[in-house]
Amino acid sequence: MTRTVLDAPPAMPALFARAALTARGRGGDLPDTRLARLGVEVDPASLAAYSRVCGFPLADSLPVTYPHLLAFPLQVALMTEREFPLALPGLVHVRNQVDQLRPIGAGEALDVEVWAERLAAHVRGATVDLCASVAAGGAEVWRSRSTYLARGATAPEGAPEADVGVSVGALDRVSAQWRVPGDTGRRYAAVSGDMNPIHLTGVTAKAFGFKRAIAHGMWVKGRTLAALAGRLPDAVSVDVAFRKPLLLPGTVTLSTEPVEGGWDVAVRNAKAGTEHLLGTIRPS
Amino acid sequence: MAPQTRKAAIVGGNRIPFARSNGAYARASNQDMLTATLDGLVARFGLQGQQVGEVVAGAVLKHARDFNLTRESVLGSRLSAATPAYDVQQACGTGLEAAVLVANKIALGQLESGIAGGVDTTSDAPMALNEDMRRALLAVNSAKTLQQRLKALSGIRPGQLVPEVPRNAEPRTGLAMGDHAAITAAEWEIGREEQDELTVRSHQALAAAYDRGFFDDLVTPFLGLTRDQNLRPDSSLEKLARLKPVFGQGADATMTAGNSTPLTDGASAVLLASDEWAAEHDLPVLAHLVDAQTAAVDYVHGGEGLLMAPAYAVPVLLARNELTLQDFDFYEVHEAFASTVLATMKAWEDPAFCKDKLGLDAPLGSIDRAKLNVHGSSLAAGHPFAATGGRIIATLAKALHEAGPGKRGLISICAAGGQGVVAILES
Amino acid sequence: MSDWYRDFANSGFGTTITKQLGLPRPAQLRRYEPGQPLLPGPAVVGSAGEGRLRDEVTGLLRDAGVTVVSPVAADGSTDGERLAAVLLDATGLTGPADLAAAHDFLAPALKRLRPSGRVLVLADPPTGTSSPAQAAARQALEGLVRSLAKELRSGSTANLVHVPLGAEGSLASPLRFFLSGRSAYVDGQVLAVTAAELPSAADAEQPLAGKVAVVTGAARGIGAAIARVLARDGAHVVAVDVPAAGEQLAQVANEVGGTAVALDITGDDAGPRLAAQLVARHGGVDVVVHNAGITRDKLLVNMDAARWNSVMAVNLQAQLDLTQALLATDGALKPDARVVCVSSQSGIAGNRGQTNYAASKAGVIGMVRSWAPEFAERGATINAVAPGFIVTEMTAKMPLGTREVGSRLNSLQQGGLPVDVAETIAWLAQPGSAGVNGQVVRVCGQSLLGA
Repeated sequence: MTRTVLDAPPAMPALFARAALTARGRGGDLPDTRLARLGVEVDPASLAAYSRVCGFPLADSLPVTYPHLLAFPLQVALMTEREFPLALPGLVHVRNQVDQLRPIGAGEALDVEVWAERLAAHVRGATVDLCASVAAGGAEVWRSRSTYLARGATAPEGAPEADVGVSVGALDRVSAQWRVPGDTGRRYAAVSGDMNPIHLTGVTAKAFGFKRAIAHGMWVKGRTLAALAGRLPDAVSVDVAFRKPLLLPGTVTLSTEPVEGGWDVAVRNAKAGTEHLLGTIRPS
Repeated sequence: MAPQTRKAAIVGGNRIPFARSNGAYARASNQDMLTATLDGLVARFGLQGQQVGEVVAGAVLKHARDFNLTRESVLGSRLSAATPAYDVQQACGTGLEAAVLVANKIALGQLESGIAGGVDTTSDAPMALNEDMRRALLAVNSAKTLQQRLKALSGIRPGQLVPEVPRNAEPRTGLAMGDHAAITAAEWEIGREEQDELTVRSHQALAAAYDRGFFDDLVTPFLGLTRDQNLRPDSSLEKLARLKPVFGQGADATMTAGNSTPLTDGASAVLLASDEWAAEHDLPVLAHLVDAQTAAVDYVHGGEGLLMAPAYAVPVLLARNELTLQDFDFYEVHEAFASTVLATMKAWEDPAFCKDKLGLDAPLGSIDRAKLNVHGSSLAAGHPFAATGGRIIATLAKALHEAGPGKRGLISICAAGGQGVVAILES
Repeated sequence: MSDWYRDFANSGFGTTITKQLGLPRPAQLRRYEPGQPLLPGPAVVGSAGEGRLRDEVTGLLRDAGVTVVSPVAADGSTDGERLAAVLLDATGLTGPADLAAAHDFLAPALKRLRPSGRVLVLADPPTGTSSPAQAAARQALEGLVRSLAKELRSGSTANLVHVPLGAEGSLASPLRFFLSGRSAYVDGQVLAVTAAELPSAADAEQPLAGKVAVVTGAARGIGAAIARVLARDGAHVVAVDVPAAGEQLAQVANEVGGTAVALDITGDDAGPRLAAQLVARHGGVDVVVHNAGITRDKLLVNMDAARWNSVMAVNLQAQLDLTQALLATDGALKPDARVVCVSSQSGIAGNRGQTNYAASKAGVIGMVRSWAPEFAERGATINAVAPGFIVTEMTAKMPLGTREVGSRLNSLQQGGLPVDVAETIAWLAQPGSAGVNGQVVRVCGQSLLGA
């Protein structure tokens, strides 16, 4: 295993450009590489902007999904490496699991490390898990596993079956309704650095086969957790499956149901009932 | 220190007729309406230049300029400028909550007299700057040099000129209050016809009360309006049946513009005092505010209806006062929607709800409909959010006074945010 | 509401024009303001025959701070201060021959009368004598005073007060009223006083201090003016008007520091309701002013029942019912109460298109006269005030021609103001006016109609 420690966050636009140029001709196994940054400090202005876009109250501890923003550029950098077998453009985020072991103070210095694992076979292609671990004072405080689907890609011989399902209760009672504005993708891109063109404009989304721009999965997840602000366990596991894309603008409903000290949640299209996000939130 | 508490007396009330949104009061601000209402109260009770202990009022929809709304209204009124005032806000419970605050201070001997009120305008409603524009302007404002200022200004885009129109939706659920009520109506299987019946009764009762002069000393005309603009004395089941549902879906779509309260502008005020103060000023005591209770429900994730909190508050209040639900001569259940009133009453009759949700051995039981909202309620009068409490208190106090000593009335008001305020009045 | 013509006629240019064209020259009337002296100049007191009031009148005037000068001789010099009032004690008349003395006294004195001067003749009532000659002389005074009132210019007025033997004590209040600016628009009137028990002298500036006065129709116009004047004179005003006028009513009540009561006085239980409130909130009422009134004009042949009935209900029946309710409710009407009922010139002279209105207003006069003895027994009074052309919001809506003609058809050549009616009512409401009962006082500038 090689572990590279970066001094600064990678420049996202450059990474995306590079990813687009080097999309072709990839394949093979996952590289045994880890990327890390040490002593990362959260910029209060960025935290405020993120909280605003997702609907989190601005507080002295980080939203459960916030460390993903620190890990994500490293994960992108990892995926744009030559050896990475799947092409970044067109990757679809299908599942995200976050474990927060304890609340993380906004002022804590964090060590972030990311890697990829579990190249798996999926009926529509192949999936890969991008993992992250965040530590403070030498102890892990947060970890995540983001499963991406590369449509049409082929997993190597002997790869395991992809595991992208999350099972929840009936969730037939609507507890909230959101109108999601058309610029949500651009707003979230601005605070997260996730410039994937499928989220930005209708034109760029069409290039990848979507009718309109679609919301970031991690925004939907963040927005859902924000709706439960004050009602989440301090140590928590949040596991969500991203189902059908949420086309922008759109109106969706949130359904919640208390389960085992946590919640089952679903975000669906307000009219058609199409599922965008199913998730479980459990104390850990 | 007062060794013991006393019950605050309700001396009387005043309100302006309630106007439909963008109707007679389209150009009137919260302060205009509250001031006119205070002046009407002053005229009715000869309080010109007098110092009342405190004036407590509020508005649900407020402008930035409505800072210190109540005190500003007092300064513009005929009351002594030495009358202190403060604002409160508990959504549709504001008016009743304000009265409870004044009554409690009177009970403790901290006040001898006070005015509680509320006002709301949906016509002159605040419209906010687009969030991006607001942040851009804040940046311009905090810039120290010309260069910084120009840079901040350059961040403004034409699209940001579009203002943010306030929506009548619960912030945490994004659902309109009517959508919430429709969910509750479906859950309790409240039919269209019983909602329409309640609505017709409300209109007829309010019109009859006006006709017999009941409101002569409760209402002061304003801007040419002499009766509530929403009042339709000729309302009938046939007419209401023709309306299309506006809330709910499919077979559950029972709620129309007729059996829901419309957006309304208006203000109300109630004069409270100690018995001694009233006697010194040769003023009547219509009733006493005996006790009050608030409750809240988790309508977001808890599975309870947004407007069901009064169903929880009332049993607490009854238990504390050792009363049953049937021990009242008048019931004033705020008609946010006809279905809300019906669902609340159905809940009190429901053994399962009373056992599981309220923790009671037996259901609270039913109430005599002939004693319910006998002088009409919000479906007919309209519902300027913070003004409804004052309207109900004054109406009930007068009804109790007319009925004679020893009569008892129950007020139940549901409020946004899953809240409820309830109170007992006694003559 | 300004009188544009009067203002014009009193301007420099207007004076010249109106003089040359022989147009009427209405004067700026002297009106009462608190703190004003009773008269702006000296008074002269004369007599025709051996009167019994001269000394008393002179005493009253001096008490009021008025300089009383000697009678003006026929050939008297014109220097010295001009007169503000000329008073004639005619209680000594025995026959028509004595009237010559009246002429001899008045003629030179009137030449020296100031603008807004006052001529007041005091006499015995013509009915109180068995001598035809004496009755003739006493009655003759009416013709004299009414004509004199028409001859006077510059806002001066002439009035006659009948003072029967034994009622001398009742004279002070009417005397002060007729001399003061309060009577600015009362001209050519005959008033009778009666003997009455008089309270000890009240505060001259606040004659109604501590009194509670209820005024119906108080939301606007004359009613609002009545409320203001009563409050100025010290009364706590309970202002009553229909619920629909509640906004203006509240404004009036707040302006005068009074209490607003929204009430339809034609309602079934209006009287008992008002009486109960007056007892509970104010411990009874001292002054009742029945001012509320409506017009529903139509020629009789075209008048529907609704027009007739509504005018009767508000203008007459309500006055009867309210008064009755106050009398019937224990503690509602103070023993020495003052009830003043607003009648109208139309009720005296009649008016085309106003059969309903004139009938109701004439009825008021009948009611007042009928109730007067009963009121007198309890130390109370009931009187009527009959306004003539009073400039209000209502007259402002009349066509210009009708309004101009209407307002000039009187000896003062101008319309009166609501305050003129109010001042007359406030005077009748005073405790000192106990000897004025069952009277109809016209506030019309000596209108040509029904004079």
